[in-house]
Amino acid sequence: MRRTLAIARKELLHIVRDPRLLGVVLIMPVFQLFLYSYALSFDVKHLPTAVLDLDHSTYSRQYVDALHQSNYFTVNKTLGTYAEADKALESGDDKVVVVVANGFGTDLAAGRAGGVQVLVDGSDANSAQLGSAYASALARIFGGKILVNQFEAKGFNVTAASAGLSANVRTWYNPEGKSASYFVPGLIVVLVTMVTVIQTSTTLVREKENGTYEQLVVSPIRRLELMVGKVAPWALIGALDIILIALIGVLAFGIPFRGSVLIFAIASLLYVTCTLGLGLIVSARATSVDSATQMAGLLSLLPTFMLSGYVFPLSSMPWVLQAISYLYPARYFMTITRTIFLKGGSLAVLLPSLVALAIFASLTIVIAALMYRERA
Amino acid sequence: MSWRRIQMLIWKEVTQLRRDRSMLPILFVMPVLMLLIFGYVVGVDVRNLKLAVLDQDNTVQSHRIESAFTGSGYFTISAHPTTEAELKDDIDGGKAAIAIVIPPGLGDAINEKQPSKVELIVDGSDSRTGQIAAQYASGILANLSSEFYPSLLSKPGSTPAFGVDARVRVLYNPTMRAVNTMVPALLALVLLMSTQNLMAQSIVKERERGTLEQLFVTPIGRSEYLLGKLLPYMGVAIVQVIVTFVIGTAWFQVPFRGSLLLISVGLMLFMLSALGLGMIVSLMSRTRQQAMQTSMFLQMPSMMLSGFMFPVEAFPKWLFYLTYLIPLRYVLVIVRSNFLKGSGFSALWPQFLGMAVFSVGIFIFGLTRFRKNLDD
Repeated sequence: MRRTLAIARKELLHIVRDPRLLGVVLIMPVFQLFLYSYALSFDVKHLPTAVLDLDHSTYSRQYVDALHQSNYFTVNKTLGTYAEADKALESGDDKVVVVVANGFGTDLAAGRAGGVQVLVDGSDANSAQLGSAYASALARIFGGKILVNQFEAKGFNVTAASAGLSANVRTWYNPEGKSASYFVPGLIVVLVTMVTVIQTSTTLVREKENGTYEQLVVSPIRRLELMVGKVAPWALIGALDIILIALIGVLAFGIPFRGSVLIFAIASLLYVTCTLGLGLIVSARATSVDSATQMAGLLSLLPTFMLSGYVFPLSSMPWVLQAISYLYPARYFMTITRTIFLKGGSLAVLLPSLVALAIFASLTIVIAALMYRERA
Repeated sequence: MSWRRIQMLIWKEVTQLRRDRSMLPILFVMPVLMLLIFGYVVGVDVRNLKLAVLDQDNTVQSHRIESAFTGSGYFTISAHPTTEAELKDDIDGGKAAIAIVIPPGLGDAINEKQPSKVELIVDGSDSRTGQIAAQYASGILANLSSEFYPSLLSKPGSTPAFGVDARVRVLYNPTMRAVNTMVPALLALVLLMSTQNLMAQSIVKERERGTLEQLFVTPIGRSEYLLGKLLPYMGVAIVQVIVTFVIGTAWFQVPFRGSLLLISVGLMLFMLSALGLGMIVSLMSRTRQQAMQTSMFLQMPSMMLSGFMFPVEAFPKWLFYLTYLIPLRYVLVIVRSNFLKGSGFSALWPQFLGMAVFSVGIFIFGLTRFRKNLDD
């Protein structure tokens, strides 16, 4: 124990005395937190749009205005010819071109359908999908309004005749749709994984590459003591990162923390154990510091980001990837942080994920310890 | 400058790479892994969303609503709660991402041509999934509305006889496949991740081991040293990009309509900025894992803010202008436009200009700082 502490103290001193390292592991995460929490959202708004108005009537101007007012489209250009429309889309300056057909106004006034063509750039699939849906919806609403006006001008009572099925959408847990509430809890998982896996991935390989490993072997310290001592400071820093991000999230961004602090602390501890174990496994497997860092980089960022359900819904993935996602601990911690921050969540709801994390934590640590003994 | 000395240095780097058993496999597994994960996670349509149905009506119409949801392919019914409390448990426990509540009396209201309303409850803790689910659900409900209330204003499936007849046409990617957006972008991302990381790693390694001083007492000049470092890693990156391109077009069937020359020139220019960033990172880091961490933290904003995943138009204004500082932003427009639309230089020159300025700027900055650092 005393020897473990001595190693831990030495490692901690290394970390604290290196301001650049501290900057990387403590300030960078916070910086990212601010950047993303303000910025990211999945809404597709303000799609850059060019308009080719071949009609030049009051109605066509109203229609273009309605597009612009909707906030989904930002009309930033008026075109004169079809050739210009091609160019606008090709250069990527505009993602949507709306062509109002000649006779649009007279058709509408006469009670016929006014023609509009909407060209959408499909090279950005997500924007294209939402953009074409918005365009159709807006056309329906605009057409409906004009029709209602015309009928009412003739003295019909339209509102009574146009009953329909409507939906009342309620968003639970995050009713204002604040993106910070959604991004911050997940960001905790991503950032902590990156810091802990990368930093511990080189522990063993480095000593070997530098030749300091022989020195350690002839000292009275045991291998497991060495391992624990090396990793302990990073557990501390991982915990510090979690606390820091959670505090800033709650205090600066006003995201809720509805669950139990105790469960969150236990889950965090378990998860950090998992990632440290992963780092150690990498360091025991890797043949060099170079391959260790590459492997750690690949292992920490991609699965945490893509296979945890952070951004992309797990239920739509092919089953192979879904199966793999169960084999990586980030998925469970993601569920737990989200539930605790936003939903509250009783122990009963969280128990399956907690148990899974506990299993992973003990497995990775045991495997790491075995590999350490064997490879050392 | 002696080409022979540069060749020797290249030979040295290549031998080092080859001797490290795990390094080469990692370098070639990386692009494949990224393609598979991005292709199958991001590229897949959101389907099989978990839906809970609370049917308090139990009429023909309410059953029709349920079958419309399952028939759409977007939803699978994961729970049939019978009370509001059960429904809350289902959403709390993550058993459902969205719920539909059909109130008693809905069927009667429809029969009497009275307005009717259902309630959609969205799990806001996973906002992207929730948003998409709500969009799909609204679409399905709108169709049901015209089915339940056949009237002049809404004939399902037919073009309206009046109102606005908007014909939406999606160009370049008519089925709006997300993989088609992803694969071209990955060419640039793979290039960025690998060149920047490898460059930084290999320089920091020499410094860590003290072999840099040894090199400089030999007749090798600064520029020879740099070229000897740059060329092999450029080679590795080029092979990685080619692997990505081949798998993307052959396996994921992304149509290539552009010019190889234009894309190569764009990517080469972009590579300069990645190499420059690698040099800058190497100056900021003392150890290799520090360099890895710094690289990763620099790459995350590139991924998040360049339009790779999130549409930049939806960002707040200040951030939207900041994205012009990210070289990846320019190259993304170039590869996506050229790959899918076949846009030529005449349409893309502003992007080329922007990127050239940044790439050359970053590269020269990195180079001068690096040389200065070597001289000290």
